[in-house]
Amino acid sequence: MSVSAQPTPYPLLPMLGRGLAAGGIAGLASGLFALLLAEPLMDRAIRLEEKRAAAETAAHTHSGHSGHSHAAEAEELFSRSTQHLGLVVTAVVAGLAIGVFFTLAHALVHRSAPRDDGRGWQRAMGLAGAGFLALSLLPALRYPANPPGVGDGGTVTERQGLWVAALVIGVLGMVLAHQVHQRLGQAGHGLPVRQSGAAAAVVATLAALFLLPDNPDAVPVSATLLWDFRVLSLGGHLVLWAVLGAAFAAPALRGQQRPADGEKPVARQTAA
Amino acid sequence: MRMSPHTAGTTVAPETAAAHPATVRTRDWLIVAAAAIVALIALYAVFVDNGNLVSATGSYLHEFSHDGRHLFGAPCH
Repeated sequence: MSVSAQPTPYPLLPMLGRGLAAGGIAGLASGLFALLLAEPLMDRAIRLEEKRAAAETAAHTHSGHSGHSHAAEAEELFSRSTQHLGLVVTAVVAGLAIGVFFTLAHALVHRSAPRDDGRGWQRAMGLAGAGFLALSLLPALRYPANPPGVGDGGTVTERQGLWVAALVIGVLGMVLAHQVHQRLGQAGHGLPVRQSGAAAAVVATLAALFLLPDNPDAVPVSATLLWDFRVLSLGGHLVLWAVLGAAFAAPALRGQQRPADGEKPVARQTAA
Repeated sequence: MRMSPHTAGTTVAPETAAAHPATVRTRDWLIVAAAAIVALIALYAVFVDNGNLVSATGSYLHEFSHDGRHLFGAPCH
């Protein structure tokens, strides 16, 4: 008797628990990475910004300087060390939230996949890679991260709209790439054609992102600082997605034959 | 009601299994959808909000998550 497809429903809630745990771990890892490597850079950027702001205030002698001084305001509300803590908390919250969407995407894409075929790692890491492309790399190519000291308070709403639009286009682009990959497979094409089609969809997504208007703000910081900050920003994204995929897949590695946590134990009928 | 695989000690007919290869309980979908909405609000709070979510918070959320916003590429003023 051949082994039939899994008759049990997809264990969505245990997977949600796993996604949340993996997301929390990933956010923490990414936050600590940023705390250790990127915070010294951000502190330096803020000191430079304060210096610039001070020079500006000295130049404009009027007291009602309404230019939204970002560093000054940040100092009023929270100390830098509180903001360092805020970075880690933000990363964990973002990780948890992304863990929910990761679980949802995993269920939508892979709910029909056999659960004991030992390919859980490949599926989770593939999905994490797609998430990195959709929400990190592609949007960052259009609107790269900027260190403190860049950004005009007057354009923040406009820039937030553009940024969210870039994230949405990134996600739609990855859905398109996945569809192209699947349909070419159903049409009987091999991996070279399928992967070329998916890559074309990614390039088309990048082209669509460049139809969005440019970031309107000037970037008055040194090229070295800017480059270092952007590389570290992408590094933080990469840590988040890599740890998320790995932590999501890890529980299945040691318990391939065990029912998922929280699932009713099921007496599997194998050939007796 | 869904047939449990161990009901009366019989195996589920292969046709049944093949017909529903990807079942997810509706209740589970709803719970995950609710979680996704909460997640979206959380992402909005840490990356976008400038005092609109809870007016009493003013810029507190923005300033607390300030470094995270810069680092993850979210626009900041």
